[in-house]
Amino acid sequence: MFLEMRGISKSFGSEPVLADVSLAVEHHETVSVLGRSGSGKTTLLKIVAGLETADRGELRLDGRRIDAVPPQARGVVYLYQEPLLFPHLDVWENVAFGLRLRGVGGEELDRRVREMIASLELEDHARKRPHQLSGGQRQRVSFGRALIIQPALLLLDEPFGNLDAETRAGMQALFKRVAAAYRITSLFVTHDLKEAILMGDRFAYLKAGRLRLFGDRESFAADPEIGVMNEVRFWESLLGGKVPS
Amino acid sequence: MRSRSGTLGLAAFLAVAVLPIGASLLYALLYSVGLAGLLAEGFNGRHWLAVLGSGEIWSSLALSVWVAAGVVAAGTALGLALALGFRGTLDRGALGMALYLPLALPGAVAAFFVFQMLTGGGFVARVLLRLGLLSDPSRFLPLVQDRWAVGIILAHTLLATPFLALLFARLYESERVEELAALSRALGASRRQSLWRVEVPILLHAAGTNLALLFIVVLGSYEIPLLLGRQAPQMLSVLTMRKFALFDLRQKPDAFVVALLYTGLVMALIAGIFRREKAA
Amino acid sequence: MARILVACLCALPLAVLAALSFAGAWPFPDVVPSRWTASRWLEVLAGRGGLAASFGVSILISASVALLSTVLGFVTSKHVAYHRRRRLLLFLAYVPFALSPVILGVCLLYVAIQAGLSGSVAGVILAQTIFAYGFAIVLFQGLWSPRMRAFEELVHTLGGSTWQLYARVLVPLAKEMLLLCFFQTFLISWFQYGLTVLVGGGQVKTLTLKVYDYVGEANVFYAALASCLLIVPPALLLWANKRFLFKAV
Repeated sequence: MFLEMRGISKSFGSEPVLADVSLAVEHHETVSVLGRSGSGKTTLLKIVAGLETADRGELRLDGRRIDAVPPQARGVVYLYQEPLLFPHLDVWENVAFGLRLRGVGGEELDRRVREMIASLELEDHARKRPHQLSGGQRQRVSFGRALIIQPALLLLDEPFGNLDAETRAGMQALFKRVAAAYRITSLFVTHDLKEAILMGDRFAYLKAGRLRLFGDRESFAADPEIGVMNEVRFWESLLGGKVPS
Repeated sequence: MRSRSGTLGLAAFLAVAVLPIGASLLYALLYSVGLAGLLAEGFNGRHWLAVLGSGEIWSSLALSVWVAAGVVAAGTALGLALALGFRGTLDRGALGMALYLPLALPGAVAAFFVFQMLTGGGFVARVLLRLGLLSDPSRFLPLVQDRWAVGIILAHTLLATPFLALLFARLYESERVEELAALSRALGASRRQSLWRVEVPILLHAAGTNLALLFIVVLGSYEIPLLLGRQAPQMLSVLTMRKFALFDLRQKPDAFVVALLYTGLVMALIAGIFRREKAA
Repeated sequence: MARILVACLCALPLAVLAALSFAGAWPFPDVVPSRWTASRWLEVLAGRGGLAASFGVSILISASVALLSTVLGFVTSKHVAYHRRRRLLLFLAYVPFALSPVILGVCLLYVAIQAGLSGSVAGVILAQTIFAYGFAIVLFQGLWSPRMRAFEELVHTLGGSTWQLYARVLVPLAKEMLLLCFFQTFLISWFQYGLTVLVGGGQVKTLTLKVYDYVGEANVFYAALASCLLIVPPALLLWANKRFLFKAV
């Protein structure tokens, strides 16, 4: 068990946002959390990142309690839906940012940044400024910036929400490839059912602040509240019960 | 991310912006009721009553409001005329550069300039004399140190107009007034209607807070009325300073009374501005 | 045509004052001065006489006030902007700035005297900073948006310390506004008279004080010269800042 959350609860004023949430993420796996807007998914991620504090509950990373550890010392990177690239830096410098923070320089910096840019297929855009890039390209830079520092845990808050369907599919494939290559541990939050199933190794469903865990794809798909079967029935009825092979 | 730095930052803010003023105002209050100061007479409301009842402060307030309102009105009218008259081109070329010059004038210099121009021995009087339009310099219109504070208003307007013109010009663009005016004309408005029902109201509304702040700044003006104003009535800051610096220390509490009243007035005005912003 | 007229009107004050500063004598009722001389200017440029010293003092004071209020304002405005009680704090920040400097000075003088700062350059700097600081806080509010906050959080999760956050992200992003604030607070201080007279006890001779001294002595030509010296730095700064001037409005 790498990340462990036990009994996390949080309220904003009198409004409860998270109620007794418990979740575990193993090394090198991706857990997708499906939740509608307002279900508390962003708050959940922010608590793990250290950007918010829970009212109750425990948070452990690699066995150690990190509740009191400030965000800069946790090794947990939180990625927003919006790529949030530094507008005063070009692509190369954006990716290199985290390394420079750690005092990495010279040849090692060059090598690692070049490799990352190559694996993200951004070589032609390395010297461009963020405003010159498309949404998908910006999201890739954002990934690169996070991955290059080899975070212990990556938190993704609907990273593909703003992209069109085709770019989205491309990014999903890219993420899976890169996650496997770099053996990333991550928590992936989305409101899109298909995306949740595609991206995760294990699954969770967050509704009105309460979390339910599912060990595998089948049990996740079979659950009536999740609604996978509704989707299937919809498409079947549309096509008159005959699904072309 | 509550953090120590957050508390420190806030503490610094309070220490610099709030504490000295707060302490000063408290001291002023104590002084004004006789509980502090060299000649403290013990708690009494004499000075407050004296000032409030004297009529001096009321005529001072009336004058200050008159001047501030006059400056805002004149500056707004001229500023609008410039911004709308030179639509889009205000900021360019020689005019664009020249417009920034008056912004570089401090109140003291503006006052001095107006003095040099408009007194009986000043530039305008000499020109009129030369042209035969004036025979006796002492009969030159009193525009300085006069009843209606024309000189004071003029000096402030000289300073305020370029600023307002540039402000309106910027707002013209940012509030998309050109497009809205065109829209109104497409809906059948005449040029005149478009101007008075669309362009001017939008600009005035958008500039509202700035105009209110200008009013407040002119209200408390010191340098200009010091040079161009009469002995009585005086604008609020001049009055305060005079009472403060008098030899007769017994009048000092009066200065603090005026200062406190002024502070109360300004805070009320600012609160009004804040409420307006909130409603917007 | 109209443009030229307005432009001339704007330049008129400076032109008149410049002319006066070079005037040898201007007896009534001559429309233009009868003699011209550059001696006063030469005196100042050579660094002799009170004016050159006053120029120096004014630069020192205004630069200090600008630096202090900009840096302090930049760093603390963030905490005001993100605070729950933002509006109340902002209201408090407006107060010193909206009070007449004279009223502020009258109230602050007691504090200044107790602290042993009255009559000194340091006292004037501090008093003017209190005034300008309020302005800086208000000016910087436009900077601290939810997006900025997101940048902060991002840098923290990437492992950056607060110092790195400021040095590598916040300051570069805020560059324009920092410059604008510096220039504006410089001007606020540069133009100050009433507050300087009060807290400085008439002993701290800034350029603005000199103008009033000369006017009081009916020394028109030196007053004009002092006025020109007063105008030139702001005119240069304003022109350099043209682009930024109204962005924050």
